[in-house]
Amino acid sequence: MTLKDLDKGQVTRRRVLAASGIGLGAAVLSPMPLRYALAQSKPYRIGSEQPLTGVAALGGKTALVGLQMAVDRINKAGGILGRAVELIVADDESKPDSGRRKVEKLVTEDNIDAHVGGYLSNICLACVPVFTENQVVNMISVCLDTTLTTSKCNKYTFRPYDFAPSQAKAFAPHLVNKMGKRWFIAYADYSWGQSTRDAYANEIKGNGGSVVGTLGIPLGTADMTPFLSKISGDFDGLFLIFFGPDSINFVNQGTDLGLRKKYKWAGDGAVAVASQLPALGDKIEGFVGVDRYVPVFDPPLDTPYLHAFYDEAVERLKKAGLENAAPDRYVQSNFEAMNALKLGIEKSKFQGRADSEKLIAALEGLEMKESADFPTGDKLLRKEDHQAFVRETIFEMREGKYHLLDTIPWQKSEVPPACTFA
Amino acid sequence: MQWLHAVPWDLLLIQTINGIVTGMILALVASGLTLIFGIMDVVNFAHGEFLMLGAYIAVLTIVATHNFWLALIIASLGTGLIGALVYVTTLRPLLGRDPLTTILATFGVSLVLQNYALWQFGPVARKIPEPFSGSITLFHLDYSLYRLMIAGLSAAIIGGFWLFLKFGTWGIWIRATTQDRIMAQAMGIPVPWVLAGVFAIGSAMAGASGVLFGPLVGVDHAMGFDWILRAFIVVVVGGMGSLGGSVLAAIFISLLEAYSSLWVSPAQAGIISFVVLILTLLFRPTGLFVATPK
Repeated sequence: MTLKDLDKGQVTRRRVLAASGIGLGAAVLSPMPLRYALAQSKPYRIGSEQPLTGVAALGGKTALVGLQMAVDRINKAGGILGRAVELIVADDESKPDSGRRKVEKLVTEDNIDAHVGGYLSNICLACVPVFTENQVVNMISVCLDTTLTTSKCNKYTFRPYDFAPSQAKAFAPHLVNKMGKRWFIAYADYSWGQSTRDAYANEIKGNGGSVVGTLGIPLGTADMTPFLSKISGDFDGLFLIFFGPDSINFVNQGTDLGLRKKYKWAGDGAVAVASQLPALGDKIEGFVGVDRYVPVFDPPLDTPYLHAFYDEAVERLKKAGLENAAPDRYVQSNFEAMNALKLGIEKSKFQGRADSEKLIAALEGLEMKESADFPTGDKLLRKEDHQAFVRETIFEMREGKYHLLDTIPWQKSEVPPACTFA
Repeated sequence: MQWLHAVPWDLLLIQTINGIVTGMILALVASGLTLIFGIMDVVNFAHGEFLMLGAYIAVLTIVATHNFWLALIIASLGTGLIGALVYVTTLRPLLGRDPLTTILATFGVSLVLQNYALWQFGPVARKIPEPFSGSITLFHLDYSLYRLMIAGLSAAIIGGFWLFLKFGTWGIWIRATTQDRIMAQAMGIPVPWVLAGVFAIGSAMAGASGVLFGPLVGVDHAMGFDWILRAFIVVVVGGMGSLGGSVLAAIFISLLEAYSSLWVSPAQAGIISFVVLILTLLFRPTGLFVATPK
């Protein structure tokens, strides 16, 4: 049946049905290469649940910048296995119920092939069952709740960046040996803050220090004074586990109450991520933190990969309305999580959700080498718990800038697996 | 007398000051809310967003002028103007209808304003610098003078507003409209203008509280949320529409929470305000600080 046939008026319903039948039969019975070629026209549908509104909107926006940057680079280079990547983003509104609803839609209506995303730990925890029930590989990209890869680990869930126990193992020797023996921990009172508190308390004690007290502050508390007024006593350092507006509130109000003058301040890198430095002003001066990525180029971080990542991310952040913002760990981990998924897809020849088992096998034990795709360095995605270990960076804030104090290779941040897959 | 020794007097004094300072900020937010409800019967769910807009206007003004006090005035006037515009375009056509329609309308305005701020200013929190630094030593704490000033200034704004209501021509019109809108109109009071003015004043008070509280927190699109929930509790406990009731309820609830946090976690102390709210609704629905209707 050609265009000429059409001109001659020889197209009948019977001929069309016959031709269609032959075509369909050929497609079903044809060998793999042809089917593979047919599938090539269909992009990989990658879902991403991110907090684009609500308390975590800032982090969600920067996270999306990193993810989009990875997807654009992949598509520009010809896609994965010749197929483009289509990103389908859902706003979880920083709420677990909304997050779960949006993820259910991504999985059941949008038919995503895999997922890269998740920012707030309570939302990640709420969504894990959805991915498991539907057998969708879930590359979380920001959530730091420890249990995601320990007591609540799951064969479909991967964390291709660090978590609190490994950060604590890398940072605790510095805290105890160089800053002080006695610590007080203040934390965001929800899953991430609680599990991070436990990890640091263990490591500080394990390194010969002590934790004299802890204080949980609920997420989104605007006036923290009643909480901060209770922080008193004889200790050397105040360890902070906060992110976003909560870290801004703590640093501002804690400084106003003189806590910065009395104690040394250290904490999770989320307290001083680049995107919120303008709101912290000079009150973050002297803070010592640990992070998987900080925008600093002191050796050994003066690599062409980190420079290229930084330059492109800055441009993209500017276009996203984040003027003068340097990339933070949320940009970085989303960028690298998407690239880790790409590596797994290539290795397993993953074609769609039916191949999830093959993708899981490829991701287990995945080694990522320092490159343009993984600018923060080599890392390993461990088979036993789907947890990655990465180089940790210890920094100090001076004159509004990050100053590198130390880097800890990923091998020294490794902790034993504590996961049993169901 | 053994128990007297068990009382942590230093913490008690600190928490008293904390309670009064927080109570005065809350009173400033709540008095705008109660004013709008008392006169217009509108439960304004967008009130927190006016607080946020006030803070953003202050950020822009400070960038241009480096003057906190000018920013406070401009932000109050600016949010007042925006409040009047919102009233005229959105709420005026709905007055007199089922209260649910105005609740839904203000909820919609709240979402629009919040997302507008996110789009216009981005998600990065901005900073309002304190107009002055300095602190006094209060036992183990250095208590910021600015926090004390917020309490004083909030009291001054509320006091000034009370005088305006008591003695100003517009204040008398507002009180007359509160008592009987139809009679006020019959007496020649320009009720539509009074209503627009009330919404503007309520919004301006929210804007002013956003500026005053701004230096203690980052200014972002969601900053009004935490305050608005507590302000609603204060308005209900104080008696909806009662300015004095709101001020007393704000201080009462803040002090209760502050004292409770001496013995329990401050997070658990926050539950106290909800308990007070439920008890008020059950046993004195007109509010704790207004006379019982005869």
